[in-house]
Amino acid sequence: MFPHGYEEIDHTADLALKVWGEDFHALLKQAARGLYDLLGVTIDPDNVGKHEFTIDAGQEETLLVDFLSEVLYLAEDEKLFFEDFTIVETPTGMLISGTCQVILSLAREIKAVTFHDLSVKRTKGGLETILTFDV
Amino acid sequence: MPLMTLDQFKQISPYEWEIPQTFRSDMRVPVRIFASKILLEQSLDDKSILQAVNTSTLPGVLEAVMVMPDMHQGYGFPIGGVAATDLDQGVISPGGIGYDINCGVRLMASRIRAEEIRDWSADLAVAIDHYCPSGVGVRSQQRLSDDEMEAVCVEGAGWAMSKGYAMANDISHTEDQGRLDGADSRKVSMRALDRGRTQLGTLGGGNHFIEVDLIEKIYDPGPAHVMGLFEGEIAVQIHTGSRAFGHQICTDYVRRLQETVEKYGIKLPDRQLVCAPIDSPDGQDYLAAMRCGANFAFANRQLLADKVRRAFESVLAGKVEDWHLRQVYDVAHNIGKFEEHNIAGEMRLVCVHRKGATRAFGPGSEDIPADYAEIGQPVLVPGSMGTSSWVLLGTQTSMARSFGSCCHGAGRVMSRSQAKRSIWGEELYQQLKRGGIEVRAGSMAGLAEEAPQAYKDVDQVVESVAGAGIAKKVARLRPLVVIKG
Repeated sequence: MFPHGYEEIDHTADLALKVWGEDFHALLKQAARGLYDLLGVTIDPDNVGKHEFTIDAGQEETLLVDFLSEVLYLAEDEKLFFEDFTIVETPTGMLISGTCQVILSLAREIKAVTFHDLSVKRTKGGLETILTFDV
Repeated sequence: MPLMTLDQFKQISPYEWEIPQTFRSDMRVPVRIFASKILLEQSLDDKSILQAVNTSTLPGVLEAVMVMPDMHQGYGFPIGGVAATDLDQGVISPGGIGYDINCGVRLMASRIRAEEIRDWSADLAVAIDHYCPSGVGVRSQQRLSDDEMEAVCVEGAGWAMSKGYAMANDISHTEDQGRLDGADSRKVSMRALDRGRTQLGTLGGGNHFIEVDLIEKIYDPGPAHVMGLFEGEIAVQIHTGSRAFGHQICTDYVRRLQETVEKYGIKLPDRQLVCAPIDSPDGQDYLAAMRCGANFAFANRQLLADKVRRAFESVLAGKVEDWHLRQVYDVAHNIGKFEEHNIAGEMRLVCVHRKGATRAFGPGSEDIPADYAEIGQPVLVPGSMGTSSWVLLGTQTSMARSFGSCCHGAGRVMSRSQAKRSIWGEELYQQLKRGGIEVRAGSMAGLAEEAPQAYKDVDQVVESVAGAGIAKKVARLRPLVVIKG
């Protein structure tokens, strides 16, 4: 198995992702990649810019939901797709920045990132979690 | 391996089952399931029943957590779940209402016979698709000002009436006349307001739809006549909710309550069940914000109804004698309401959470339109795409057994990824077309996700609620035109 990645797992009505990474930052990045995959983004590769946002400090599960909720909002409302994420820990939380491209279309609506049965677990290879999205 | 087995349930009647409070030590009340044995067995493989058991641990939960036959696993609460909580000792849970606050269904009837539109159904599909913005993240041409957003939050469908988008009959035939009291837009975040101001009057994506239906069969002519439903005529259903406005309100409060739930000493088996005491500042703030979302959704369906009427006029004026659409009813299936119910022999005001469940008040209720007082409240149960939908009525049994609640649809049995693996969207589109159904869909993949095979048989769902006595059959509808987001 790759040290980091994600895979969609079956959920009767909504969508769920299994995500893993060597550390928490890798987990966040993979979760965002998985979310973009579920959304079915198509991007304009020639329309590139920079964007940054902050996430308040909290438990890992809360940080994960806050981070993904912001990524989801930026994709749906601001049409921003992060090509990469630079994550810097700050005294109050995290500063996330990266190169962005403009989203031309989304194939699917995702209403929210949920806390349902959410738990970031330690594994031999790092961290792993299962995320449920409301669609 | 099923997550539950049938021997863990006590059978009360052919269509009613119970998981006793002794099933798990943290349960405060039993779980009551309305379903045939076949539908119950279909639900044992997913987490819906265990999610209902988790819901039964909420502080102040009363009598039983109810589960409808269209149940399927959700996040926190099961879809098809109903829970009533005590106003003094109980909690309000945003996840028990859901992200799509006041997702619901509107039914409008016409005096158009199906054969009159046979040559125009494709044109109707194009016109409705043109007038009603649909699809992922779609925005309205209107951008509401702060004052208009405030008015929508407080007045709901009444705002649409003041702008000329509604008739008096639309308002009187909407649950709570399309407006919940106690909405306060100051309790809604600026992000939610901004997301909402460009989305009023839009259908959205997912399982939201507009359908032109044939009234295929009348089961109870008296009430059908009262509702203006006649065999062989055309009706329209609109299924949508509060769009990103509601999603953001729920996201904000689920997040806020994660921080405060511990201070109230509440222990939960699932963080998505997060809640606050109803009489706390957190609980009151959520209620005020949720009511804004509910009122936005009532206004949203009203604007879409106006657009569908314009589409009908543009296609059918001069071609049929009477192309007008008259509102039968509009009802929510994701909502939290203060209602009076009989709790252990005493009438009490309680907070009813309905997550994928429809209000189903019986005859004589003061909360239904005067012209429906003798027949009961219409319950609108859309089927999966290409299959039947149903018009039912609430009963005295629903008042006594299910907090005046009933099912809300067919209920999924197949995951979206499984549906896409086994169903080819283009093939489904052709199949529906051969069956005489005009479909307009955002994408073929999205169409495959919503294929009829991914859902339970809605007729069996309706048999269960009718068999349990919590609803009465009135009419069955068959789709002729489907607009999917």
